[in-house]
Amino acid sequence: MGLAGLLSFNSSPVKLSLGALPAATAPPGSTAAPTTTTTTKPVSGGSTPPPTTAGAPTTTTTAVPTASRSATGAMTNYSFGILSVKVTVSGTKITNISIASIDDGGNPRSAYIDQASLPLLEQQALAAQSANIQGVSGASYTTAGFEQSLQSALSKLGL
Amino acid sequence: MSSETTTQQGWRRILHHDELVMGTVVTFDLYDDAEASSGLESMLLDAIRVLHEADRVFSTYQADSPISRLRRGEIDLDQCPAPVRDVLELCERARDITHGWFDPWSLAGGVDPTGYVKGWAAQRSLDVLRRSGVRGALVNAAGDTASFGGPLPGAPFRIGIVDPQQTQALACVVESPGAVATSGTYERGGHLIDPHTGRPASRAASATVTGPDLGLADALATALAVGGREVLPLVEGLDGFEGLLIDFDGDFEMTTGLRVAPAPKTIR
Repeated sequence: MGLAGLLSFNSSPVKLSLGALPAATAPPGSTAAPTTTTTTKPVSGGSTPPPTTAGAPTTTTTAVPTASRSATGAMTNYSFGILSVKVTVSGTKITNISIASIDDGGNPRSAYIDQASLPLLEQQALAAQSANIQGVSGASYTTAGFEQSLQSALSKLGL
Repeated sequence: MSSETTTQQGWRRILHHDELVMGTVVTFDLYDDAEASSGLESMLLDAIRVLHEADRVFSTYQADSPISRLRRGEIDLDQCPAPVRDVLELCERARDITHGWFDPWSLAGGVDPTGYVKGWAAQRSLDVLRRSGVRGALVNAAGDTASFGGPLPGAPFRIGIVDPQQTQALACVVESPGAVATSGTYERGGHLIDPHTGRPASRAASATVTGPDLGLADALATALAVGGREVLPLVEGLDGFEGLLIDFDGDFEMTTGLRVAPAPKTIR
C-alpha cells in the first residue's frame, strides 16, 4: 500500500464535517443541535487528494444550494469486506450519514464487528465535536473505508 | 464547543491520517498553530513506517515473520531482530506486574506478544512525532490511544470510553495522561484468554487503563479485563497508571487517582 497516496494533509476535514453535524442516529430533540459547522471545506476529488500544504480553509457560507441532496459514495474496501456510505446534505451541512451497502462475504466474525463498529463511527464523529473529545478508546475497525466512501459521496455533491 | 476547528485559542487539528496496518486502522491527529509543513509530512511517514516495521516483525499472520519463525522453533531468540527481544522482555515485565494475568506465553501455539505489540508500536510511532516539534499528537491504534500535548494549549486530550453494553455509545470520558487502552470481550467476540486456565474468560465487560506508556497500558487493560477487580490494586500500585472496570451490570470500579467525566448527553 502506497503510503504517500494515503496521506492527506489538511485535505480531509471530511472527518471533521462528520462530527460537526447532527448524526443520523441522534435522537430527535437531542442536544446534538446543528450548532457548529466546520470552517474548512472538504477537498473533493476522491482517493488522490492534491498535495495541498496550505489546506485552504474555505468558508462554507456562500454560493451553495441549500436544498437537501444525497449521494452514495464509491464501494470501498475496508478491513473485512466492502462498503459504501450514503450522505445527505443541506447546503454544505451534512444532515445524515448511513451505510448504503456492506458486504463482508458472510464472515460471521466480521458481521459482528460491523454491527459494533459502524454505528460507532457515526457516534464517534458526533462525540468528537459536541463533547469536545478527540478520540474513542474501545473497538473501532473500519474507519478508513468508511471515510473514503464518505469523501467520494461528498465529492459527487461537489463538496 | 467546537474543539478541532476553533482557531481563536491558537491550535487546531492540522493533519489527519488513517493508516491500514497491523490488521486494523491506526489514525494520526496532529494539532498546532502552524500549518502542516513538508517536514511534518516526512516525520509522519517515519512514524507510519514504525508501524509497518513492527507488523513485519511481529505479525503472527505472516508465516515468514520473525515472530512466526520463533513460534515454530525455526529460529531462537538470539537470531531474532532486536525488537523481538525488547518486546518479550517488556512482556515478561508486564506478566510479573500483573501476577500472570497478562501472559503471552500461556497461549496455544507458542509465545504471542500481539497483545503488547500494537500499543508498543503506536507508542514508538508517537515518539517519532514528538521529535517534529508539533504541539499535540494523538495516535489511535484501533481504540488504544497514545498522545502528547493536547488539542489546545494546556488542555489534555479527552478520550471517550466505549460503553461495553452498547458499543455505539460512550460510557464515560477520561483525560489522556499519554496512553489510554481499553480491552473488552465485545471487541472481537471473546478473544480474551485466562492465562491460568487457557480458556476464554473475562471478569469484566470492559477494562480501561491510562498511563504514561501505551505498551504497558494495553497489557494492563487486558489483564484487568481477564482478571477483573482483583487486578485493580495491581494497577493502583503502579506509578502514573490508573484503571477503570465496567462490570456486566454497567457499574464502574476504578483506582483512586482516575478522574472520569460522564459521557456526553448527545451520545445515546
